[in-house]
Amino acid sequence: MAKIELKINGKQHSFDVEDRTLLVNLIRDHAQLTGTHVGCDTSQCGACTVHMNGAAVKSCTVLAGQANGADITTIEGMAKGDKLHPVQQAFTECHALQCGFCTPGMIMAVSGFLKDNPKPTDEEIYRGLEGNLCRCTGYINIVKAVKQAAVAMSK
Amino acid sequence: MDQHHHSQLFKVGNAQVSRLEDIRLITGNGKYSSDWNAPDQLHACFLRSDRAHARIVSINFDKVGQIKGVIGVYTGADAKVAGYLRPPSFLPATGKGGMKARVPERPCLAIGKVRFVGDPVAMVIADSHLAAQDACELIEVVYEDLPAVVDPEDALKPGAPQLHDDVPGNNPYEAESGSEAPVTEAIANAAYVVKLTVDCTRVTASPMEPRAALIEYKADTDSYVVHTPSQGVNMTRKQFATYANLGEDKFRVEIQDVGGGFGQRSTCYPEYVSMMMAAKALQRPIKWVSTRTESFLTDTHGRANIITCTLAMDKNAQFTGLRVDWLTDQGAYLSPTGPAGHIRNPTTCLNGVYKIPALYAHFRVALTNTGWVAAYRGAGRPDIAYAIERVVDAAARELNMDPADLRRRNYVPLNEYPYKSATGSTIEIADLPGLSAKALTLADWSGFEARRAASAKKGKLRGIGMSAVIEPTGAGTYPRDEIELSVNADGLVTLHTVAHSQGQGHETSFAMVTANALGIPTERIKVRQGDADRSVTMVGNHSGGSRTMVGAGTVCHIAANKLIDAGKSLAAEDLGVEPSQVSYSKGEFSSPHSKKKITLAQLAAKKKLSVVGEGTFTSTYPNGCHITEVEIDPETGVTDIASYLSVDDCGHIVSHTIVEGQMHGAVVQGLGQVFGEHIVYDKESGQMITGSFSDYIMPRAGQLKSMQMEEYTTLSKIGPLGIKGMGESGCTASLPALVNAVSNALGVKHLDMPLTPSKVWATIQQNKAHLAKHH
Repeated sequence: MAKIELKINGKQHSFDVEDRTLLVNLIRDHAQLTGTHVGCDTSQCGACTVHMNGAAVKSCTVLAGQANGADITTIEGMAKGDKLHPVQQAFTECHALQCGFCTPGMIMAVSGFLKDNPKPTDEEIYRGLEGNLCRCTGYINIVKAVKQAAVAMSK
Repeated sequence: MDQHHHSQLFKVGNAQVSRLEDIRLITGNGKYSSDWNAPDQLHACFLRSDRAHARIVSINFDKVGQIKGVIGVYTGADAKVAGYLRPPSFLPATGKGGMKARVPERPCLAIGKVRFVGDPVAMVIADSHLAAQDACELIEVVYEDLPAVVDPEDALKPGAPQLHDDVPGNNPYEAESGSEAPVTEAIANAAYVVKLTVDCTRVTASPMEPRAALIEYKADTDSYVVHTPSQGVNMTRKQFATYANLGEDKFRVEIQDVGGGFGQRSTCYPEYVSMMMAAKALQRPIKWVSTRTESFLTDTHGRANIITCTLAMDKNAQFTGLRVDWLTDQGAYLSPTGPAGHIRNPTTCLNGVYKIPALYAHFRVALTNTGWVAAYRGAGRPDIAYAIERVVDAAARELNMDPADLRRRNYVPLNEYPYKSATGSTIEIADLPGLSAKALTLADWSGFEARRAASAKKGKLRGIGMSAVIEPTGAGTYPRDEIELSVNADGLVTLHTVAHSQGQGHETSFAMVTANALGIPTERIKVRQGDADRSVTMVGNHSGGSRTMVGAGTVCHIAANKLIDAGKSLAAEDLGVEPSQVSYSKGEFSSPHSKKKITLAQLAAKKKLSVVGEGTFTSTYPNGCHITEVEIDPETGVTDIASYLSVDDCGHIVSHTIVEGQMHGAVVQGLGQVFGEHIVYDKESGQMITGSFSDYIMPRAGQLKSMQMEEYTTLSKIGPLGIKGMGESGCTASLPALVNAVSNALGVKHLDMPLTPSKVWATIQQNKAHLAKHH
């Protein structure tokens, strides 16, 4: 067993978990934040994407132990009260989600990506979304949302 | 785009949102099946067959006791005691020549034999998921391997390995539609006959939410509460009840959000009824969450049809007859929706969009040592459209005709609708001559050669492809669709439906229809799906077959009008007039004979204001024409989609935003099958060799950069709103349009999906002489 201390969405937590626990399971099962989803076992779908110390990571590919002392942001920490994050806002306004299962991971990946590349070209957006699968939207509106969010965030 | 084309924005709290369900989904507050937990729950993990076909000699689970927290192990012996042996099957009882359907048993845990890689053999229950998983690894199964067969044609050959004792020849069913003699005659007398076999490949739905379930047993009523992804609570209850030999009243389905469906959620899976055994025996809730690997192996797959079309034409290239020979691979067991969907659905639109006087189809069903197959976005309709639209293109090529012209000569003209097809369908209304003319103009079909030449200058092979498709929707399996509307004292209207959204946005579209009829703001309608807070389940269909807006969506309108009538009767007393003297507008009842007025909210505060509206619907036929151009790099075989245009007739549109999103998704799902997705089993071992997202190539962002969407509407008359439905039609149209475009670029007749770069490159190498001549 390992004692993991970390900050999630600004709140300090301490959990005793099995050594092999993945960050995504710590977030979902121990911190009971179920907005972060698991869509595959091979780090390909991106539904589990969160921010760890400001960078977007696939939380199914991080051991809880590696996140000891880290500052984690999950989808639940993106809106400030009633005010949505610009990426969240763009996703709903562009109808960039249907079933919504991939959406939290998409929003976390896109907000991380736009931090690194605030004015992406179309090709850079496609590459930036390479690690996130969506089965419903055909991605057209997701790409639109990324562009809209980029504009909103540069203001 | 016309003036209707705009985002319909609503305000929820301080945020502008485009769908009413969006706020919870973008903030992480959705509740999917794996998000349900119950106090005291235990966890299940399944040990699955690692071989395609084998006799189970012994199962030894002595060692599982080494793992702390293990509560129990269940096997086929328990399945036998429980009697959970046979999932429902919706096959008609008799097939070709009076053949009786031979539906094999599928015990929820294997008894005596395993028949595909992934077949569940044992279920471990433990106090944590990890403990259950560890214990599974300690179970020792001794198998005696049997030869396996994964190819459906091989499975039907004499001497093939036999999967089930009670299904001789691995042939559970054979069916016919239309009549054979007139088609044989048409072929014999034809000026031209074109024959093409296509493989509508095996794929998997891959909704992003893996399957999951939480099953609770209620001892006081000897019943179960089920939380699992569903397309509608009634369908799910019915399937659980049939598999478990219990009454439907023994099941309650409580769910909220469903992470994609596409037909894959309409099955009651063996894992779920296995969990019922443990939930009852241990009197504790049981939870299970599928891994993606398990999804690939054990979710119902889709398509898997090998279809041969033989098209007869007269000297004017008019279609005189069509013979369809259809072989469907159903995997190791028959799923509830698989065989019926792959026979009934193509039968209803066997003529495609064409006037074909003679039609005949022969359907063969094969069982193989592979995962089972069920409905997948279109369920047989994309398959038949794909086969017909491919053979029509092949015919145009052989006759040296413009494929658009060949189609034009053969469309059922507008004035012949309702059109009675030779397989007995009454196809309500469509205008393919008008619709496709619009598409051809918008796509600048006649200007293609110049674009082809421009691409050739860049060293690229350009191709153009079209499809003209139609498919039935509307008719359901329940006698009617019901919607309950109840006005609360605060004036909010609660809408109950048993159709369940898996992403289609019913909370918004149902609210829009209702709000429009009631003349009140959309956000005053709160849509509740399922039966979580109702004691009596309503009658109604699940969400499938593109029919929900046709059925339940239309009933929202009917129920709203019924609510107005009920309100008038109640308001009459308050206004001191006769009900016939009461008028209603924008949430308020008034009368020219009274000075008083009363709002919906005021009325609901005094009296119960609640109605159940209902409607029954026959079939209607959404249709469309898609035109796409591709550009292929002959050096790499990589195909780029240069343009994609859709012109669709889905009747009246409630939300353009949602329809556009559905069309994007459906077209790209078709594109996925065309260019990458393919479930492949190794022929010798029966192992799946595409069991992860690294081997199974899903569409990615940028593969379809944009598409132009246009409408060409004829209204349906089967309901008061004129809706036709459209969730699947994009997939139906994109399969043939894209493959026709690639086959046009390469100048080849035979070409099977998936059109991976390596396959396209190899095809180019084989056809170099031809390409040199034409490009």
